[in-house]
Amino acid sequence: MTPMPLLLAEAAAAVSEAAFSEAVSKCRPVHLGDLGNLAQVIWEFLSLSLFSLGGGNTLLAEYHHLSVEKFCWITNSQFADLYALAEAAPGPSSMIVGLLGLGAGWREGPGWALLSGYGAELAILLPSTLVMVMACLSWRHLEHSPWRIAFERGLGPITLGILFAVGLKILRTADSTGAGELSVPGVIVSLVVCVLMLRTKISPLWFMAFAGVLGGLGIINR
Amino acid sequence: MTDAEELAPPPGLRELFVGMLQVALSAFGGGLSAWSQRIVVEQRRWMTNEQFLTGLTVARLFPGPNQINMAVYIGTSFRGLKGALVALAGILLVPFSLLMLLGVGYFSLHELPGVDRVLAGVVAAAAGMALSMGFKILDQYWKDPVALLLAALVFAALAGLHLRLVPVVLVSAPLAMAWYWPRATAAASPASAATPDRGKP
Repeated sequence: MTPMPLLLAEAAAAVSEAAFSEAVSKCRPVHLGDLGNLAQVIWEFLSLSLFSLGGGNTLLAEYHHLSVEKFCWITNSQFADLYALAEAAPGPSSMIVGLLGLGAGWREGPGWALLSGYGAELAILLPSTLVMVMACLSWRHLEHSPWRIAFERGLGPITLGILFAVGLKILRTADSTGAGELSVPGVIVSLVVCVLMLRTKISPLWFMAFAGVLGGLGIINR
Repeated sequence: MTDAEELAPPPGLRELFVGMLQVALSAFGGGLSAWSQRIVVEQRRWMTNEQFLTGLTVARLFPGPNQINMAVYIGTSFRGLKGALVALAGILLVPFSLLMLLGVGYFSLHELPGVDRVLAGVVAAAAGMALSMGFKILDQYWKDPVALLLAALVFAALAGLHLRLVPVVLVSAPLAMAWYWPRATAAASPASAATPDRGKP
């Protein structure tokens, strides 16, 4: 039997008692109803905010770590789904944080889920917004400061390294089968889309739609 | 400076909200920053193109999503912190609420086998987009071996050693900043006293 990917507890229990207890002991979904938990979760997002370099995508692997591995709100493949959803929807893709919040509160019902969705997005945006406000107000002094120049030049290569690591992480997350192995058709589609993204100006929505059809036909599976 | 004379009067809070909402709604399907330039500079004439491009520079430099930082810049330029919050609400509220609706739909339906099959495909395409992000900015560092080394070390720490992002950045950023600290530009020191750039309102 394939090891249960820490899915919903009910589903796990239905499969086998042993798998259930293993899944639970490994990773128990953190409930947001507990105020201490809620505070910790909010703190995690607040403290990540200032590390969203290069437009915010640098945080994707950290979001995966928090929501799948640390707090166990969602599964690996759910994370990949939410990432795709955030990319396809209008607005900045960093809005994935709201979807993760939604997933975190889903067990507590849709009302809670929406509340935690809006809360998570607020938490991730608040610190960076405040810094941005201060930066705008003092830009006249900052513009020619050596700190500004060193920050801009130094953080660029770091962002580059992070983005490659994030790309690889998302690839591994998205193109994996239920058993945790890489799905070959999935990887091929990802690589082709990557090249097309770099070489053409076709809207990525077309790639997603086309790949969605391939998935529906059963050519890409997981 | 005829540009500045043709500017509209600075927007109030309500106008800021409506303008940013207009940007958000126009940008359905992408191209947010092109739309915000069109609306803020060309249609509403709140700022000059130069001011707008300065804003983009600041927005890209500081942490946070670029488009959202841009809204903060526009709001702050006219109405300070209050303006920033209003502009932010304008640009976020509709797309984010729509995304939340999509999310509710997703969590209600994703266990249906048909939906899951389609998503398996969509997700593979999205992963390709994620993979392209690094390659997109790789070109500008091609001639700087130190930058490539730094990027490789950061990549190895994250993807190879599975270290967390925050400590990796906290260690690598000061080193990188020290290396890239502007040297031999002592001439820049009188700049702050001599050229008070008062281009911004």
